[in-house]
Amino acid sequence: MFQDESSSVTSSSSPLQVFSMMSLSPNLGSPYPWLRELKSEERGLYLIHLLLTCANHVANGSLENANIALEQISQLASPDGDTMQRMAAYFTEALADRILKAWPGLHKALNSTRITLVSEEILVRKLFFELFPFLKVAFVLTNQAVIEAMEGEKMVHIIDLNAAEPAQWVALIQALSARPEGPPHLRITGIHQQKEVLDQMAHRLTEEAEKLDLPFQFNPVVSKLENLDVEKLRVKTGEALAISSVLQLHSFLASDDEPHRKKSPLGSKNLNGIHLQRALQMNQGTFGELLEKDTVNGYSPSPDSTSSSPLSSTGSVKMDSFLNALWGLSPKLMVVTEQDSNHNGSTLMERLLESLYSYAALFDCSESTVSRTSLERLKVEKMLFGEEIKNIIACEGAERKERHEKLEKWIQRLDLAGFGNVPLSYYGMLHARRLLQGYNCDGYKMKEENGCVVICWQDRPLFSVSAWRCRK
Amino acid sequence: MATAPSSSGPFFGIREENQNQMRILHSSTPTSSTGAPIDPTPLPPKKKRNQPGTPNPDAEVVALSPKTLMATNRFICEVCNKGFQREQNLQLHRRGHNLPWKLKQKTTKEVKKKVYLCPEPTCVHHDPSRALGDLTGIKKHYSRKHGEKKWKCDKCSKRYAVQSDWKAHSKTCGTREYRCDCGTLFSRRDSFITHRAFCDALAQETARQPPPLNSIGSHLYGSSNYMSLGLSQVGTQVSSIQDHNKNQTGEVLKLGGGGSSSSRFDHFLQFGPQQQQQSMVSPPGFVMQESNQIFNQEHQPQPGLLGNNKSFQGLMPFPENNSNSTSSAPSAAGLFNLSFLSNSGNNGGADYNLTYSGLLMSDNFNNDNGGNGGSGNEASDLFSNNSMSDQITSNIPSLFSSSVQNNNMVPQMSATALLQKAAQMGSSSSNKNNSNNEDSLLRSFGTSSSTGTKTSNFGSIFGETTAGNNLHELMNSIASGTGNSSFFGSSSGVNTFNTYANRTSMEHENPSTLLPPQQQSLNVSGGGSDSLTRDFLGVGQIVRSMSGGAKQQQQQQQGIGLSSLSSERNTNITAPTSNQSFVGRGNFQ
Repeated sequence: MFQDESSSVTSSSSPLQVFSMMSLSPNLGSPYPWLRELKSEERGLYLIHLLLTCANHVANGSLENANIALEQISQLASPDGDTMQRMAAYFTEALADRILKAWPGLHKALNSTRITLVSEEILVRKLFFELFPFLKVAFVLTNQAVIEAMEGEKMVHIIDLNAAEPAQWVALIQALSARPEGPPHLRITGIHQQKEVLDQMAHRLTEEAEKLDLPFQFNPVVSKLENLDVEKLRVKTGEALAISSVLQLHSFLASDDEPHRKKSPLGSKNLNGIHLQRALQMNQGTFGELLEKDTVNGYSPSPDSTSSSPLSSTGSVKMDSFLNALWGLSPKLMVVTEQDSNHNGSTLMERLLESLYSYAALFDCSESTVSRTSLERLKVEKMLFGEEIKNIIACEGAERKERHEKLEKWIQRLDLAGFGNVPLSYYGMLHARRLLQGYNCDGYKMKEENGCVVICWQDRPLFSVSAWRCRK
Repeated sequence: MATAPSSSGPFFGIREENQNQMRILHSSTPTSSTGAPIDPTPLPPKKKRNQPGTPNPDAEVVALSPKTLMATNRFICEVCNKGFQREQNLQLHRRGHNLPWKLKQKTTKEVKKKVYLCPEPTCVHHDPSRALGDLTGIKKHYSRKHGEKKWKCDKCSKRYAVQSDWKAHSKTCGTREYRCDCGTLFSRRDSFITHRAFCDALAQETARQPPPLNSIGSHLYGSSNYMSLGLSQVGTQVSSIQDHNKNQTGEVLKLGGGGSSSSRFDHFLQFGPQQQQQSMVSPPGFVMQESNQIFNQEHQPQPGLLGNNKSFQGLMPFPENNSNSTSSAPSAAGLFNLSFLSNSGNNGGADYNLTYSGLLMSDNFNNDNGGNGGSGNEASDLFSNNSMSDQITSNIPSLFSSSVQNNNMVPQMSATALLQKAAQMGSSSSNKNNSNNEDSLLRSFGTSSSTGTKTSNFGSIFGETTAGNNLHELMNSIASGTGNSSFFGSSSGVNTFNTYANRTSMEHENPSTLLPPQQQSLNVSGGGSDSLTRDFLGVGQIVRSMSGGAKQQQQQQQGIGLSSLSSERNTNITAPTSNQSFVGRGNFQ
């Protein structure tokens, strides 16, 4: 039987997956009266169960069943409930979105009036920055690494791959202007799609630099990172260059199904993989094709996955060329902050399981720091976590940008790209640790791993910070 | 600094420390400026950081008068009185007059570096230790900070002391708009910044602030148990929390710096955890109490039927074990586990006895179960055994009643903990099912083996009771029955169970049914919802694929049979009202 085969290959019997197969269906009356009486924990467990069941159905292409599961989840999940309810709300949305994508017309029609307000997005990023310590820790570590690397340098040029948050550079300007050897000439090149964001940043920074009499220049580059023209960075000889990338690099792992992609070992097992890939690309909407398609997505590695073999860890062409371009600038320092999760798994189930864990941790963070009724929290959860989840779960191919990978993968990748690891300094970590302690929340933890830092919620690593130099 | 957007707040604190560290770093290097002998005023201890303009200690300190500083042309040609800003330019000019001229050569020996003082006595840069490093810098500084703002922008009437500043401003004035997140537009940056200071503060106040009442609401929700125990105490605590909340907006900014703010925040944050602990501790107490009571009430009268007390007691400690192993499982978990565990048997089938053999409770039931998963016969044997069903029924109410206690307490479990728990439950059965354990989740929890032993506790308790293939299906439904009872938080849960119990007893009175026990139990647990029954089937499919083996096919068929049967069954058994009709009969204790 079909399902038997697929599950025997991949039923990566994670405990959670097995959990999903346990049948714990409490009695259901049609209006589900009891559902609202569920206690938080029972409901949570049941939600997990339902989510996994639903994902299994989605992966197997049994939409009827998926639909039933979705309906049940919708009875329980809620974007303003407890953590698991909130999470479940976004995960179901993502699963449903994935199903919907099989009918591109439908999907597009339903999203046709959807407006993405850039200002909202920026606001949400800012909220994430303010409510959670992760970016702050990343900034502290980055700045300390920059200050140490730029010691004695007279001309310092910093490239910010996502220039949205001036606070980091304000702090750096202050630190640099107080250097014992005197402030350097500082140039910051900020890359962002939105001109207004860069303008604001420029104001904020020039103001600060002026206040401190630090020679400063802001070089705005209005561009999507992926379309970046390296010339525009105006890197000059003689200046010391530092590159800061915060949660940006992983999007370069996204790639279309390219023919010369290295095949992952699992991929070869997929006998009719090419045919299925085509079906996937064409995105037809008949039910039969959907079945095929989701078999591909669910239980066999999706073609663009890079996660299953070590060889393919740098498999993305875009990533290679981008890292190569950065390397070509000979930065004295490059600090990389990334989500430290494995959300680039080849199968839907892999990604679902992993992201369940990491987003559980993130939602727990917000539960422990922000009140349930906070609108800001809702926004961050919906527009940041929710959208990421949706991208991880519902998207494939070039569309799937949120390809978070673990630190070891980044180390390997950056090493191959010609970068040498620069251990983060004791002082940087000291500051970062102090910052975390300032939150006075036991959950936030920091680990050092080979000179890199991993920021955790409890034991779950969430973000990694690593510093690199150009190895010639 | 007051106008700085709040977002940069944390960094200010940190920066100070940065500087401290910096100095520590650099004091070891020979070029360090601090502590150098020339430095006329060693930094007073209270000064935490190097200020801008700390000069090179070897530099020559130059103090120029305001006049010279402001002079646009310091170097005057004695012939034509033309002034020059730079001496070099004057020299070149003198060449035109045929006067002796001399350009400064690039000296081979190093020029002594000069630093310049600000002539304004009240200025920080008046102090030689804070002299500025270049002449243009000090000129601009003096004009900007202490000079007259002679240059006025025609468009926005902002004034500048330095002409180049004014020029730079004029170029952009009016071309930019400053938009606050709140939607207000500004044409002048300074008014924008002023606005931002307030707007930010406001935004934070309202957004981070809605708490006072609400956050308490959530705490109440999260641990109403505690409230019921000591409302008055909580009340005071709550009010203090409100205060903290109010302070919080301010404090959050300083968080990075730690220090004083942290203590307050600390208090605020501790509230949650404390409460959680409280609420998690107490329910088990309730459970034990309640269960014991019920045990007494319901079991004493008919010890013979029950078979043995041990079995029951074996069940009760379960919540405790459970909370130990998962570290944060509230008592309710115990109830719920029941269902999962019985289900784990579901997947287990043949391997079942391997894992669970020699466990705590096995002796009680081994006789009945014959130890291997199996045939309908065995199951029916079990069913015919009254003690079995009685035991179950008596358990349910006890669990139920304790869960009523818990109902309001709602110990809040984090999503992470829930996932871990789910994984643990899963792993306990995956150990049996699946050789394919390379999964990262297992590793990440490091419990692949330990969960086996941990959960074997549960297994030992429930495993035996559910050993039979069919029987364990029965347990499924029972388990869901228990879930139910706690879900309903009302007698209806019991009712459903009772229906079920009755059902089973009825069922085993008809020995002719071969499919039966499983299906019936399923149906009952289905509770009349079409969709759920179907979902159940869906799960069944997976179960099938997971566990492999002959039994599965049997299950499959039955599962299919179920789908056809379910509808009528459901109508028969679990029409909402029928529950009540069964209640009457439920007094088989």
